[in-house]
Amino acid sequence: MGQTRDIGGKKMSKNLKSEEILKYFKDEFKTKIKEGKIYKRVAGSKKNEKLGIWLKIDRTIFKDFIKHLCALQFPHLSVVSGNDLGETIELIYHFTLNSGKRMKEIELNVSVDLPKSKPEIETVCDFIPGALVTEREKQEMLGVKVIDIPDTRKLFLPDDIPDNVYPWRRDKTGPEKYYKNLHEVKK
Amino acid sequence: MAKGLTKSFKKALWVYHCNSGSCNGCDIEIIAALCPRYDVERFGIKLVGSPRHADALLVTGPVTRQQADRVKRIYEQMPDPKAVICVGNCGNTGDVFYESYNLVGPIDQIIPVDVHVIGCPPRPEAIINAVAKAWVKLETLEAKK
Amino acid sequence: MKAKSTTKTSYHIPIGPIHPALKEPVHFEFEIDGERIVDVDVKLGHVHRGIEWAGSRRNPIQILYLAERICGICSYCHPIAFSLAVEGIADIEIPERAEYLRVIQGELERICSHMLWAGVAAHEIGFDSVLYITWEMRERALDLTEYLTGNRVTKAITMIGGVRRDITKDMIPRIQKDLKYLKDNFEKLRHIYLDDKTFKLRSKDCGILTNEEAVKLCAVGPTTRASGVKKDVRVDTSYFAYGDLDIDYMTPDVLTGEVNGDVYDRIVVRLLEVKQSIELIEQCLDKMPKGDIVAEPKVAKLLAQLKKVEGEGIGRHEAPRGEVVHYVKLTGEEHPYTWKVRAPTYNNILPWIPMLKGEQIADIPIVAASTDPCMSCTNRVGIIKDGNKNELTKEQLHQLSIQKTRRLMK
Repeated sequence: MGQTRDIGGKKMSKNLKSEEILKYFKDEFKTKIKEGKIYKRVAGSKKNEKLGIWLKIDRTIFKDFIKHLCALQFPHLSVVSGNDLGETIELIYHFTLNSGKRMKEIELNVSVDLPKSKPEIETVCDFIPGALVTEREKQEMLGVKVIDIPDTRKLFLPDDIPDNVYPWRRDKTGPEKYYKNLHEVKK
Repeated sequence: MAKGLTKSFKKALWVYHCNSGSCNGCDIEIIAALCPRYDVERFGIKLVGSPRHADALLVTGPVTRQQADRVKRIYEQMPDPKAVICVGNCGNTGDVFYESYNLVGPIDQIIPVDVHVIGCPPRPEAIINAVAKAWVKLETLEAKK
Repeated sequence: MKAKSTTKTSYHIPIGPIHPALKEPVHFEFEIDGERIVDVDVKLGHVHRGIEWAGSRRNPIQILYLAERICGICSYCHPIAFSLAVEGIADIEIPERAEYLRVIQGELERICSHMLWAGVAAHEIGFDSVLYITWEMRERALDLTEYLTGNRVTKAITMIGGVRRDITKDMIPRIQKDLKYLKDNFEKLRHIYLDDKTFKLRSKDCGILTNEEAVKLCAVGPTTRASGVKKDVRVDTSYFAYGDLDIDYMTPDVLTGEVNGDVYDRIVVRLLEVKQSIELIEQCLDKMPKGDIVAEPKVAKLLAQLKKVEGEGIGRHEAPRGEVVHYVKLTGEEHPYTWKVRAPTYNNILPWIPMLKGEQIADIPIVAASTDPCMSCTNRVGIIKDGNKNELTKEQLHQLSIQKTRRLMK
C-alpha cells in the first residue's frame, strides 16, 4: 500500500509491516529494548505466511511503550500470560495489530521481567479498558501487584484459599497444601 | 422396567439438574435427551427449576471447593423419596481432573449416590437408562413400605 | 465493575450461579431502579478445576486430552490451539491434507455450536418449540460428526502434527447428503429467526454494544462482528488451509445492510456463519489434496522429539465464540513449563456491562445469552457462593422473560 502517515515525525505505511514496527520501537527506546525478533510460520497449500514479533523490554519504560503503541495503532490485547522463573516473574502481553485486512495481521508479544521481591507493574486499563479481567487474574494467580487497577477483588479463586497462596508460582507460595488426588481410595 | 411392581408412583419422575463444575458436555447431553430425537418427555420426565419439586437429582461435574456445600444443600432440600444420579466420569472418579487444588473429591464423598452413569460424556440413551433405573429403585422402595 | 454500596431507592438483585441463560454458573449482581438496570457486577464463580496447573505435570499428548475437557461445546478448539502452539515451537511441518481435514472438523463444530446457541436463545425468549426444531437439525450435524470421528461431543480427532482419522472417498456421498439437508433447512431457520415479528420485537434495539466499545473492550467473536468490527482469526491470519479458501468477514450488513450492534444483529451474524461454514466444507472437499494425515504417526517418537525442544509459542484459532489463544513454554523436559489458556468468553465478559445497563430485568436472559457465554472455558476456576434464594430466581427470571414475550404477542 502506498499510503503513508506521520507518526512522531517518522513515515509509517498505513498497513504496518513487522520490520517497521520493530525499527520504530528500537529507535524510540534504544537500549531499553533488550531483544526483538521476527518469526514466521507458513500454512496451507499456497504457503501463506503468518508473522509475529517477540520483544523484551525493560520495566521502566513499560507505560511509555504502551502509550506509543496505542498512538501507533490501537492494539487488540488478547491475554497476559505469566511465568515464574525462580528469581523473577515474567509477564508477557500478547497484542495483535492490523486486524481487518485479509492475512495482514501481526502478533506482537511483549515480555517484561519483574523481580520477585517487588513484583509491581503499572496498569494498562486507562489506555485499554478491556485489560481489566486479565490483570485481575495475574494479581491473584502470581501475586503481581498492578498499580492503579480500578478493581482489586479476586476473580477466579475461591475465598477460602487465603490471599498469600499463588497457584502459578513454583515456590513455597504454591497451592501444594490444597492438593487432592480424586483417584485415591481410602481403606 | 421390572414387572410386578406396584404402581405407587402415580406421577412421572421429575428431575432437577445441578452443575457442580462440569465442562458442559454432560449437561448438553442431558438437554439432548429431552429433544425430539430421544424424547423423554413422552414418559412424563421433565426438568424442573427447583429442587423442592424434584424426585431425582442429576449431578454433573467434579465437585469444586465451594460447590460442595451447595450440592449438599440441594440434596437436603429435596423431599423424600429421592434418588441421586451421578452423570459422567467426573463425578464418579474425577476423570482427567484427578489431581487438583480446588476439587473436593468424587460426588459420593459428599452425597449418597444411587445410580452411576459412566462416559465422557455419556450418550443420551445411557442417561435415560439411568433415570429408568432410578425410577425402578424408587418404586421398589415405595412397595416395601 | 466496582463494588458499590446501594442507595435507598435502588434494589440490589443477585442472579446466582444457577445461570439463567445456560446450564453454567455465573453470578450477576444488578442494581435496579424500578424495572431498569442501573449497574451490573459480574462475579466469576465458576468451575475452577486448576487445569493450567495440572498441565504442568503432564506430557503434551496427555494435555491434548485434558484440554478437550475444558469445555464440552468447544471441545475441538482447545486441543487444536495447543497443537498449533507446540507445532510452532518444534517447527513441525504439517501435511497439506491434514490442514484441510482440520478445517472441515472445525467448521462442522461451528455449525453444531451455533445451532445449539440458536436453540438456547429461542428458549430464553420463550419459544420452546423453536428449541426443539433447531436441536433436531443439530442432531443431524451431530450424526455426521459421529460418522466422521466416532463420538458426538468429545471427539479426540487432534494429534500434534495432524489429525487422527481420514475422510475416505466412500464417506463423501454421506457428507454431501447431510450438507444438502442442512442447506435446505437453513432457509427455514432464517425465516423463523429473522422474519418473525416477536423475535424482532424482543431483540431489536436490545443489548446494544457500539463499535467503539467493542474495540476498546477487546471483544472477540460474533459479539464484536455484530457491532461492525472486522475481527476474525480465520481471515486475518493464515493457518490451516484458510489461506487457500475463499472467506470473508461476516458482519450484519452482508444480510440486512445496516449495523446496530443489538441482539438481532448477533442472531444474523451467527446464522450467516452457519451458511459460510457449509460453503467452506464444500470448498475443502473439492480442493483437498492427497497425502498423509499426520507428520509423525508413532506417538513415542513424537514425544521424544518434543522432549528435546525449547522455546515459546502461541496458537490462535477462531472458535465458534471467538478467538482462542494458547501460550506454551517448553524447556526441554517432559512437561511444559507453562501453559496458558485464554478462552473467548474471557474477553466477552466486560461487554456485558454496557450491554445490560438501561435494559429491563426481563431482558437479562436473552442479552446474557446473546454473547454465547461458555463459562467452563473461562473459569478454569470455580467458586460459588450464594444463598438459597437463587435457585428460585432462575426460574423467576425465565418466567419473566416468557411473560414479556406473551405480552408482546398480543
